[in-house]
Amino acid sequence: MAKPSKKQHYKLKDNIAGYLFLSPWIFGFLLMWLVPAIISIYYSFTDFNLLNTPSMIGFSNYIRIFTQDDTFIQSLKVTFSYVFLLVPLRLAFALFVAMLLNQNHKGLGLYRTLYYVPSIIGGSIAVSIVWKQFFGNKGVVMSLLGLFGVQQKMSFLGNPKTALIVIVIMGVWQFGSSMLIFLSALKQIPNSLYESAMVDGGKPWQVFTRITLPMLTPTIFFNLILQIINGFRVFTESYVITDGGPLDSTLSYVLYLYRRAFTYFDMGYSCALAWVLVAIIAVFTVILFKTQNNWVHYEN
Amino acid sequence: MKKRTIALLLSMGMAMSSLTGCSGSGDSGAGNSSAANDAGAQTGSTAAQAAAGNEGDAITLKFTWWGSQSRHDYTQKILDAYTAEHPNITFEPVPAGWDGYFDKLSTEAASGSMPDIVQMDYLYISTYAKNNSIADLQPYIDDKTIDVSGIDESLLNSAKINGKMAGLVLSTSLVTFPYNPEVLQKAGVEEPESGWTWDEFIAMNQKLKEAGVADAAVINPSLDTNLFNYWVRQHGNQLFSDDQKSLGYADDQLMADYIRMFKDAMDQDLVPTPDEMEQIDTLGLEAGPVVTGEGAFTQNWNNYSTLVASSNDKIKMVTPPTIGSEDKKGLWMKPGMFLSIAETSSHKKEAAEFINWFLNSDTANDIMMAERGTPSSSIARDYLTGSGKMAPQQQDMFAYVDLASSMAGATPAPDPTGMSEINKAFADACNAAFYEQMSSEDAAASFHKKADEILARNN
Repeated sequence: MAKPSKKQHYKLKDNIAGYLFLSPWIFGFLLMWLVPAIISIYYSFTDFNLLNTPSMIGFSNYIRIFTQDDTFIQSLKVTFSYVFLLVPLRLAFALFVAMLLNQNHKGLGLYRTLYYVPSIIGGSIAVSIVWKQFFGNKGVVMSLLGLFGVQQKMSFLGNPKTALIVIVIMGVWQFGSSMLIFLSALKQIPNSLYESAMVDGGKPWQVFTRITLPMLTPTIFFNLILQIINGFRVFTESYVITDGGPLDSTLSYVLYLYRRAFTYFDMGYSCALAWVLVAIIAVFTVILFKTQNNWVHYEN
Repeated sequence: MKKRTIALLLSMGMAMSSLTGCSGSGDSGAGNSSAANDAGAQTGSTAAQAAAGNEGDAITLKFTWWGSQSRHDYTQKILDAYTAEHPNITFEPVPAGWDGYFDKLSTEAASGSMPDIVQMDYLYISTYAKNNSIADLQPYIDDKTIDVSGIDESLLNSAKINGKMAGLVLSTSLVTFPYNPEVLQKAGVEEPESGWTWDEFIAMNQKLKEAGVADAAVINPSLDTNLFNYWVRQHGNQLFSDDQKSLGYADDQLMADYIRMFKDAMDQDLVPTPDEMEQIDTLGLEAGPVVTGEGAFTQNWNNYSTLVASSNDKIKMVTPPTIGSEDKKGLWMKPGMFLSIAETSSHKKEAAEFINWFLNSDTANDIMMAERGTPSSSIARDYLTGSGKMAPQQQDMFAYVDLASSMAGATPAPDPTGMSEINKAFADACNAAFYEQMSSEDAAASFHKKADEILARNN
């Protein structure tokens, strides 16, 4: 009787220490995330404009979103195009680089670090400004094309048809975190599989599609969900590089809700927009989880 | 066991530090507000502070403004000069660029941490006033804390919203066409004179283009509605209806003509396309094409030549083109900027004293040198004119006001609530036409529809 209780006593102590270690995070989570999130549900049913005392207006905000707001539809179109272009490209590129780095060459550690750098700095304002100078009017890319005799009236960022693509390319460039996850997964694929494939005379392509890809599906699944959620939240690029323009062709959903809140003094409406986005992301995640039985291969 | 104790202690430490981190700032906040209430000395903890002194109490005023680096620099000098005169008043300056200034301000207002003194624009003053975020300055005008004797009545009242003096107008500005006379001369184009027409404007730019000027007229017609407002007014209409629930003009041809004129100019490469404008904007005011001599004309406010004087002191200004003999006085005295006091400020009286000094004192005006626009107060104007310290640019700016006032009509009512959304809708409509996704007529009609919807929702 005495022994287990002592054990439990230790366990309890362990737990307390754990929670105390966690407490700065929990504190921040509650105060900076959970509480504001709950309050924003309330705001989404009010006419809150940041400065007034909010009063309840029922579902008016939600009704306005779905019946009267063309910009909402435009920003959804932009965000969906962004996500569906970006996620496959970024994952493919990340996997490609991960496979290159999954070999034994000299100085691979350096390359791994270097390739990760864009992911650290990529979301920053400075890089966005560099990107703007790069692809903008009279920018480097335009000038280079001009050297080769390609004369264009509009820059890539100034053209409503190509501006989003520039932003997608910038997103693909930030492949580092997916790459690292792929790399660690690649290292966990048992060598015996490859050896037996070699004995059976498997070609490189077959090895890749029959062994590497199936073994990676849990990682791909994980990356996919992460990247889709992140993709829907794109803000910095479209805010800094193009400010949603030209002609709203890069107006991401989050930029639009930011504008509603802080530029147009429409906080209640903006909160409603935010919850619509949560619903959209939730739907996507659920769909992905439902389909995983069909393609995700878990070893045990 | 030992390890566990250490771990426990460490985690406790972390938890505490995060807690004290917060309470620390909380304390200082309480300190501020208690200093404010020290006259009443309601709480025990303030008793000591209250006893320390009465009129000499150390007070910190938070002052935020937008502007360029040179404005930040000299404003700091002004604040230092005020502190030298009033040792108990120190400042916490919050300088910012125009971009993002109002985004930040709205957040601060929402969280009740708006700076005591706020540089305010016509665009937003009614929004803040209607939501009681900024204090009524009338009491301070009545008790002569702020001397407004030098300010034109109608200009002063431009900040009167719902019977409340929401800000003190600091300067006036008028729509202006600044130009680089050297560029004109080199191209053999005669300098324009007040009263010139849009046709002459276009013809001049064609000549400049032929002479090889890269950016003839660096004008962004869709930047906001100011130039369009001038256009509407010179055609004898007004942009907003009197009740501000809809646009004030009926015929969309008015806007279609405006768009077409600039679209044609863009097609002839006289005016930058929105794409080119985007890049020009990144250069900043002081390195813009007209300043560097790559461009001839631009459109701005009448403090432009003062703003860029450190980079080019040759820039001249002319009133915007007219439509000829039919012209209906489209110009108006726009309140350039206001100083407002936050409703949440606990030092309103001290802030009002500072505003008065900032507006009227020789010291402040000596340093400011009308960089914030033509001073609204004749006290400041007379002082500057009499001081003999004015550079030619400032003299030009003052002369411009006299010249333009003969061409100016009545000042329109303050911008309606939702103005920033209107400006966005206006830019979208114009740009759709500039990008050839819509005809000028369709763009004009779509703006009308959208603007009416925004106005009806907000006003």
